[in-house]
Amino acid sequence: MTKKLLALLLAVLTAFALMAPAAMADDVDYSGEKLVIWTCLTADAQYNVLYKQFTELGAEMGVEVEVEKLSFGEMIAKLATASAVGEVPDVMHVNFGGTAQLYADEALMPLDGIIETIGADDFSDAYKTVLTGADGHIYGLPDWAMHTSVWYRKDLFEEKGLEIPTTWAEFKDVAVALNDGDAMSGFNIPLDGVQVAAQTLYELMCSAGVYFLDPATGEYIFDQQKEEAIAVIDYLVDLYKSASPAGSLAWSWGDYRNALAVTGTVAMTLDMGAVIGNAQGNNPEMTAKLGCFDFPGVDGDKKASFGSGYCFVGTKQDDEVREKLVTDFLIALYTPERAAERALSRPMFAFPSYLPAFEIYKNSELVAEFQTEVDTIMDAFENSTWYWYGMENGLSPMSAHIEGTNIFGVALQGACDGTYTSEEAYELINDDLAAFAATM
Amino acid sequence: MGQTLEKRKGILSSYSRRHSFVGFVFAIPAIIFLLVFVLYPVIYNIALSFTDASLSAKKAVHFVGIKNYVRMFSDKLFKQYFWNTCKWTFWSVLGQIVLGLGIALLISRPMKGATAIRSFLLIPYVVPAITLALIAKWIFNSDYGIVSYWLQQAGLIEARQSLLAMKGPAMWVVVILNIWRSYPFPMLIYWAALKGIDREMYEAATVDGANKWQSFRYITLPQLKGTTMVLIVLRTIWTATYYDLIQMVTGGGPTGSTTHLPILIYQASFGSFQMGYAASISMVLGVLMFICIIFYIRTGAADD
Repeated sequence: MTKKLLALLLAVLTAFALMAPAAMADDVDYSGEKLVIWTCLTADAQYNVLYKQFTELGAEMGVEVEVEKLSFGEMIAKLATASAVGEVPDVMHVNFGGTAQLYADEALMPLDGIIETIGADDFSDAYKTVLTGADGHIYGLPDWAMHTSVWYRKDLFEEKGLEIPTTWAEFKDVAVALNDGDAMSGFNIPLDGVQVAAQTLYELMCSAGVYFLDPATGEYIFDQQKEEAIAVIDYLVDLYKSASPAGSLAWSWGDYRNALAVTGTVAMTLDMGAVIGNAQGNNPEMTAKLGCFDFPGVDGDKKASFGSGYCFVGTKQDDEVREKLVTDFLIALYTPERAAERALSRPMFAFPSYLPAFEIYKNSELVAEFQTEVDTIMDAFENSTWYWYGMENGLSPMSAHIEGTNIFGVALQGACDGTYTSEEAYELINDDLAAFAATM
Repeated sequence: MGQTLEKRKGILSSYSRRHSFVGFVFAIPAIIFLLVFVLYPVIYNIALSFTDASLSAKKAVHFVGIKNYVRMFSDKLFKQYFWNTCKWTFWSVLGQIVLGLGIALLISRPMKGATAIRSFLLIPYVVPAITLALIAKWIFNSDYGIVSYWLQQAGLIEARQSLLAMKGPAMWVVVILNIWRSYPFPMLIYWAALKGIDREMYEAATVDGANKWQSFRYITLPQLKGTTMVLIVLRTIWTATYYDLIQMVTGGGPTGSTTHLPILIYQASFGSFQMGYAASISMVLGVLMFICIIFYIRTGAADD
């Protein structure tokens, strides 16, 4: 009996001894610590929500929090510079391109453990893939996601008796049919030099199964898909000439969103859903007239689409306490309510990548009247393939290069204004990307 | 006597040495400044241009010889960007000088409210480039820009087109914007120079029967030659390296038609992170500017 009691006592003591480090770790005193957090979301609605959540959590954890805004245009250059001098923030809310840049600079800490703690099944697989490095570790916590769709005027489709196009040829026919003299263009091809031109091209490329990097191996593949890529550029030029405003050559995001949602001078555009926010803010009557559908494949079989999103990253820390501080902070950000609040702070159609937040998102008043669009986009997220340019096989510095270079603008504007043939435009882009790929 | 002279020479020599030393001490801050902020960056840039340096912190830097220069001069687009730089600089400087001189001639005459008029004419110089760029983008917008509307209505450009989206006119738009923003500087300099011309020369010319054009041609212009040379050199250097306006109005587009060397340098360094390549482009721009400076010094020496 005594032996049994002793054994039991020993077991209990052993159990306590084993639990002690964990208990101690949970009770780490963070007082006096400071977290530097950067975000490139500068719009008030989004920044305010992030700032509120960061400062709330900071107060709960007894940590000083310093939040800095980074304008989107300077983000990649600033991250590269910060990495070069070793002054990256502790935590950052950033897009995929920025994540890839920090990963290439070996500034990030792997987050597999955090994802396991939050719940690996609670994140979409596609998002985990895109944020996975070459070493197999996940370096970003998916926050919210966006998907490129064709946003269109439902009323005009109805008026002209048009059906949703299912092939490239049908799409062009519909775009041409929607043209109405100088007052209305059926579609638009925005080609502002940096980012916009690349994004416009990439949605068409994805739909035709043309990629920069091989989704299976991560090797540079754009040079092996020359014919297909030229066909994509041909189609882009054809759409520009037959259905896009001449001035769209210099259009950026704001221009084409206004044209569809505010001035009503374009009938369809590729977008990630922010057009709805534009309509609500500037032309509420237009809101109900807008709908979305997935851009079709060449012959109906769409290979992939262009998706985007934001995530949280944590950078490498000097000691275990700070590493745990960053870990605890990131985990605490992932409650369904907080994740939904962040997604809903974007004007529209930024889906929470943390699936438990999706129900809150879908039932919110903000998206109540857009259930059809939400379902369409969610279906594209969950049931089809999508990529972020240059990260077809996970994190790659190619993505940051594509974000930063203006070669897409030069080549595609030139193809549209007759300076270059589609082949020459392709060569310009390929020469630039291939030279960069050789340095990766 | 001889000893006294030697003693005096010694005292003077000592004073001269002390004086030189004190002068040198006073010059030390300027020398340090020049070494740290001029000489070092120039030498560093030259060295960088022979490497494959990247902005990425994790990439090792290798010596690549003249590879960056070979790449630059064989680049299909570099020639275009080089000529864009020449075009942008030549027309901008010409416009600023001509407009600045013209207005300086007007305001140098006695008139009511001269101070107010001169102040008003200085406004473009203090307008921030970002303000000018945003207004330009607005008035040239293809859908709702007032200038685009007028041009479309006049049939000069097609419907829903913008000069900023047309590769030929886009450069002229940014040149005109630059002239508008920069003419006050030459205007002020010319105005001050005109004040310095001896009025008696004009009176003598009038007595000799010279008309206004002849007075301008044979008195004013020669008297302004030195000022004009200084302005041409300074404005050329400032304009050729001026980055902000083009970046904010066209971003170098469309089709690279407004991309000049500073934009290319930015693109190479912060777009593609290829610091070595960017340094080699900077060297070309630097050499061009150095030629301007040599020209300026030689011209100044000739005048002396």
